[in-house]
Formats: sequence, structure tokens, C-alpha cells
Amino acid sequence: MASDQDLVVETVRDILAGHEPFALTAERPWDAGLWADLAEAGLTGVGLPEEAGGSGGELADAIAIARTLAAGAAAVPVAEQLLVAGPALLAAGLDLPSPEEPLTIAVEGAVTAEPVDDGDGPGRWTLTGTATDVAWAGVARHVAVLTAAPEGIEGAVLALVDTEGLATSDARNLAGEPRGSLVLGGAPAAGALLTPARAGEVRARYALARAVQLAAALERVLAWTVQYAGERQQFGRPLGKFQAIQMELAEMAGEVTAVTALVDAAVQTLGRGEDVVLAAAAAKVRAGAAVEVVARLAHQVHGAIGFTQEHKLHHLTRRCWSWRDEAGSELTWSRVLGVGLLTEGGDGLWPALTRVV
Amino acid sequence: MSSSLTLAPAPPSEAAEEVRTQVREFLAAEQAAGTFSTHVDTWLSGVDPAFSRKLGERGWLGMTWPKEYGGHERSAMERYAVTEELLAAGAPVAAHWIADRQSGPNLLRYGTEVQRQEILPRIAAGECYFVIGMSEPDSGSDLASIRTRAARNGDGDWVVNGAKIWTSNAHHSHYGIVLVRTGPPGEGPRGKHQGLTQLLVDLSLPGISINPIRILDGGHHFNEVVFEDVVVPGDMLLGEEGAGWHQVTAELAFERSGPERFLSTYPLLAEFGRRAADSGDAAQLATLGRLSARLLALRQLSLRIAAALDRGELPDIPAALVKDVGTTFEGDVVDEIRRVVEVTPSLDSPDPLDRALAEAQLHAPGYTLRGGTNEILRGIVARGLGLR
Ligand SMILES: Cc1cc2nc3c(=O)[nH]c(=O)nc-3n(C[C@H](O)[C@H](O)[C@H](O)COP(=O)(O)OP(=O)(O)OC[C@H]3O[C@@H](n4cnc5c(N)ncnc54)[C@H](O)[C@@H]3O)c2cc1C
Repeated sequence: MASDQDLVVETVRDILAGHEPFALTAERPWDAGLWADLAEAGLTGVGLPEEAGGSGGELADAIAIARTLAAGAAAVPVAEQLLVAGPALLAAGLDLPSPEEPLTIAVEGAVTAEPVDDGDGPGRWTLTGTATDVAWAGVARHVAVLTAAPEGIEGAVLALVDTEGLATSDARNLAGEPRGSLVLGGAPAAGALLTPARAGEVRARYALARAVQLAAALERVLAWTVQYAGERQQFGRPLGKFQAIQMELAEMAGEVTAVTALVDAAVQTLGRGEDVVLAAAAAKVRAGAAVEVVARLAHQVHGAIGFTQEHKLHHLTRRCWSWRDEAGSELTWSRVLGVGLLTEGGDGLWPALTRVV
Repeated sequence: MSSSLTLAPAPPSEAAEEVRTQVREFLAAEQAAGTFSTHVDTWLSGVDPAFSRKLGERGWLGMTWPKEYGGHERSAMERYAVTEELLAAGAPVAAHWIADRQSGPNLLRYGTEVQRQEILPRIAAGECYFVIGMSEPDSGSDLASIRTRAARNGDGDWVVNGAKIWTSNAHHSHYGIVLVRTGPPGEGPRGKHQGLTQLLVDLSLPGISINPIRILDGGHHFNEVVFEDVVVPGDMLLGEEGAGWHQVTAELAFERSGPERFLSTYPLLAEFGRRAADSGDAAQLATLGRLSARLLALRQLSLRIAAALDRGELPDIPAALVKDVGTTFEGDVVDEIRRVVEVTPSLDSPDPLDRALAEAQLHAPGYTLRGGTNEILRGIVARGLGLR
């Protein structure tokens, strides 16, 4: 399908071609070289308006970039920056840091926010406590922290924290991507109060960003597996000629196609300014459910070679196994969706279903 | 991914949302008046000619067909909205379902002018019902192996002998589109696709007997239809002699693409939604969320197919894929719900959830068989992936 995003996708692919994915370790927790190339090409500011310091372009461009990078198992915080933290800061009326410096989002943990008058005008907050499960902790220079507002105030605070000098723990997800904690030292930071609805949107955007990444990764896993089944020969035939293998690949294709259709539709709700929470919840849950089938069958078809770090498959399957429970677990978002569909009572389920996307 | 599997997203349709509202109002009024009660899988088992005629009066049958044949020249997206609302409500739509979904479109593509003029307006009015005469006792998935034969007699009419089976609702229907062998198979593995022909058969003709076969819940929907020297007028040939295989394949694309391939058990899910709303139970709410996410993805897939039909495409491979994923979902609804609710499934239970669960369970084996089994569908998808 030709789309307006073909050019940006080509550019990202060209850059990716120069950076093979590698197994992430504590010593090498991200692909700094890839980030530098993406930043130099202006791709780390796409979808963020130029007047705010971004590179301009559409939301659809940012989505296309995140998809391409996810399919390439790129170890860079682009989805967090372009799809979640950047737009959240802008929507809250806060300044963006330079898009060349990696920016992430933190929504979990025990963080207290207090307003402070440090002489820098209104909208200054001190954040203390520990943000947990922070994607790219120790890698991202800035983090947009979403946390509860102080006692007596409804809603949440979103503040932009400079991570320079902050203590981080070295926790990593199943793919080795940094997911540590960040101990906030209480230095004043620019922040804004969000209504509960706006705070919910930030969380939903984060979940949707992971769903977008999952959709892209699952699509690529299917493509790799179809290709492998065409190349690997046993009993004198390519694996793909065996009906048992065809059934498995067809089942994978069904899952992947379903995920893509729903994630695409959920992304449209962002562009239309509709309530994104239930759409994001559904997309995240559906994508997560597909991981079970797609990763299991992909490994089954690849045999032992796919069970090694020598083969590329693990770069995506390990990410998928983690992403499905990040930005809110699959269980959490299933409940959010279940509850949200019943807000008008049991009889309102069908009308609610036809409104989500 | 292979482009034969993916389809462009469906553009939003205001007209579809408009007709959706009208159908909802109609269904609420009918339910309030007590003209129907909700059941699972009503597109197989809910036969109600009076209800079908009401849909015809409102212009909700033959929706996409030309006006000259009693149709309404509306989009596939609008038709999608109507059928989806009817299924979600568990309304009795079985009488007209096959005629409206596939026999009518088949006649539009391949029928003669006389056939179209005579039959299509009656389908659109909700008065004329069709059966699918494909399967035979010895021919299921291997459809091209059918043995029902038709030969021309001296008057140019067709003389049909053989038997069809699993013929849903033949005892309530007027016509069948019957696949018969009219010529010898050709050479090679695909040779058996040659010599097949579709006939438009009036089910009241002498020599046809319709014998009931009961399904698991005791319901009579299946039949065996036996043809003994049945004389079918020569002008009831549908399409071309010998082109039956091609025509059947096109017909199946319509058969496989609609919302009935994932909503057959929706009335059970709706009942479960009421239960979860009352209980507030966390596990039930999560299950509702998970099942709903799957349903929402299927809706998007099915909408994409409707939009492709509006663009004049025949998305047979995506339709096979949707049917595989969708009918698997229909059965999973039963399993997932009973994991998180105390149930005693029974058709006689005073509890609507127990009843819906019983209906859905007893119909479950059919979801992944009818219209081509999921194994056969996956073979089609595998072809779309370039594997065969
Ligand atoms: C509710 C319902 C309504 C129906 N209504 C109609 C109707 O109105 N008109 C009509 O003509 N037919 C109808 N059918 C019949 C339906 O089309 C057939 O059941 C279907 O095509 C399968 O044929 P079969 O039942 O003979 O099974 P078989 O073809 O004998 O298959 C049995 C099993 O073997 C598997 N199998 C077969 N071949 C292969 C293969 N090559 N590779 C892998 N696995 C294979 C199948 O997937 C299945 O699991 C209906 C069926 C049902 C359940």
C-alpha cells in the first residue's frame, strides 16, 4: 500500500541498515550510534511542531517511524519520545527539551509532587521519591514524570525532569531494554496540573505506543517465519510445504492481521481527537494476546536455531514478551476496557463496542 | 506482509451510522412488543418469515442491489451496519439470511435477466428464501468430488439425480442453488473443477424430498435433500454450463466475509456483560475486556472487507482469514466466560446466562465447520502467504 509515509519510512530503513540489532547488556544498554544518526536526520523530532523545537510533520509520520524502528528491533527511545512524552508535554503547555536528547516517560512508582516557588515563576514543582519501571532509565536525558497531584488537589502532575546526576537502578526487561528506577532528588522542575481525564490520556497514549510497536514487531516476526519456512528444507522439501507448518503460519497471519487492523483504527482516534482510552486499551490487549500465538509458533517453526542469540528472531520475540505488559499490563488494560465498556450498564455493551474505534 | 492478506482501512461512513440508529430503534420496538426474543446463532436457527418481511419493508434486504431488481443501491458499509445490529440483538434472521447474503448477489452476477427480475425483488421483500446446495454425504471439504448429476433431456431441461446434505433450512426455503456435475472432469489435479454447473432449483419440484436431520440441541435446521429424476427447466441454468467451480468460489467469498463469522455467540457475550456489570468482579471485567478487544479487531477486519466490496474488489483470501479468526473467537467466548462465572448451562434454566451458554455450547462445533472448515481456510491463507 503506497502511503504519504513512504519517504520517511525509506529514510529510517536506510539508517537502520547501518545498525544491526545486538543483544543489549548493562554495558551496552542502547544503540547510541543509531540514535545519533536518527537525531542528525531530524527524525527524533518528527510529529512535534517546529515552533516547539521539533521537526514538524504529521502524527502519521511519527507512527510510521516508531513502527519501522520497532520492526527493526532498534534500541532507541523514539516511541516514548515521539508518541508519548513529547505530545504529553506539549498538551500540558510545557516546553520540549531538545529532540536530540533522548526523552522518556515515567508513569509508575511512588513520587510526590509539591508546588515550589523557586523564583522561576509559576508552574514549578519539586518531585521526590522513586519512579519505577522507567523505560530507558539511565539512557534518557529527560523524563516526563506523571504522578498524583498533592493531597487535596484532583488530578495529576506532569513534570519534566532532567536525569543528569540522578541515581538509577539497573533493571532490564526480557529483551535487556533498560527499565530501571529513577530516584528523584527534589530539584525544581517545570510541571503542570492535569485533569484526571488528561492524565488518563497520557497513560493511554503510552499503551497505544506499545501496541503500535507490537503490531510492527509481530508483522516482522511473521515475515521472517514465512521466509524461513520457504528456505529451510527437511525431508527434501521446504518446511512451508508441510501442511502442519502452513496451518501454523496461517494462524500467525490471522493474529497479525487482526492486530494491525485494530491498532490502525485506534491510532486514528488520536488523530480525530476522540477519547483514546478505550481504543488504546483494546489495541494493547489485542496485540498482547497475539504475542502468545505468534511468538510461540514463530519459535516452533524456527526450531533450535531460533532459540539462540545467534539468530535474529529473539530480538523481536523477547521484546514482544515484555512490551505486552509494559505501559500498563495486559490485565490492567483488560479491566480498563471491561469497566469502560460497561459505563452505561450491562445493556450498554453493544452501543459502547460500536463506539470504541 | 503479503498484500493479498492486508486491506486498506475502512473510511468512516455516516450513512452507515444513520441506518444503524434506525435499526436499533426498530429492534428496541420489536423487542418491547415481544415479537422476538434473543438467541444465540440466530442466522442458523431463527426462522421467522414475518420478521424477514418487516426487514424487507424497511429496505434492509438486498440493500446493495440495483433498484431495478428491488434493491436499494446502498453501500456494503451500510449493509454491514444493518447485519451487525441484527446479529448483536440475536434477532430471527435465518429465513432470508442465505438469500440476502449470497444467493441474491450470485444471481446478480450470473443470473439471466428473467431470473433476476423474477426472484431478486422477492428476496429483497423478505419473501423468498434460498438454500446452499453444495455438500453431499461423500463430499464435504473436497467439494469438487460431488456426484449429484444433471443431464439435458430432449426438451433441453435438466434431469437431476443425487443428494445434498447439511442443507440448512431447506424445509423453509423456496429455491436452492445446487452444484451438480454436468460433464466429465478434466485431466490433472485441478481437472475435477471442470464439468461442474450451478442450477437454480425450485424446491417444490416433483422428485425432491427433504428429510430432516437434527443437530446437537435437537433443533431441525439441517436436511438431506434427495433428487430423483427431478426435471429442472432449461432456463434455470445459473451462469454458464461448466463454470460452476468458478461461480461457487466467488459465492464463497461473500459467504465468508460478514459479521456472522464472529457474532454468532454475541448474545452470550452480551448476557455476560450484564453479569459482569452487576457483579463488578475483577476477573469477569478483565475477561470481558479481553474478549471485547478480540471482537473489536474482528469488526475492523470485517469492515475493511465491506469497504473492499464497495471498491468492487473480491477479497477472497482476507475473507478466509477473517472467518478463521472470527469463528475461533465464537467458540472461545463460551470457554472464556465459563472460566470466570459460576454456571450451570441448561436450555431450560431460568437464568439467561445459563441458557445462552447452553445454546452457544451446543452450536459450537458448527462455527468452525460451516462455509468451509478452518483447516481449509488456513490452506487458503497459506496460499495468500505464498506457501502453496
Ligand atoms: C451448521 C452448518 C451448516 C451447514 N450448512 C450447509 C448448507 O446449507 N449447505 C451445504 O451445502 N453445506 C452446509 N454445511 C456443510 C459444510 O459446508 C461442511 O460441513 C464443510 O464443508 C465440511 O465438510 P464435512 O462436514 O463433510 O467435513 P470433512 O470435509 O469430511 O472434514 C472433516 C475434518 O477433516 C478436515 N479436512 C478435510 N480435508 C482436509 C484437508 N485437505 N486438509 C486438512 N484437513 C482436512 C476438515 O477440516 C475437518 O476438520 C453446513 C455445515 C454446518 C456445520
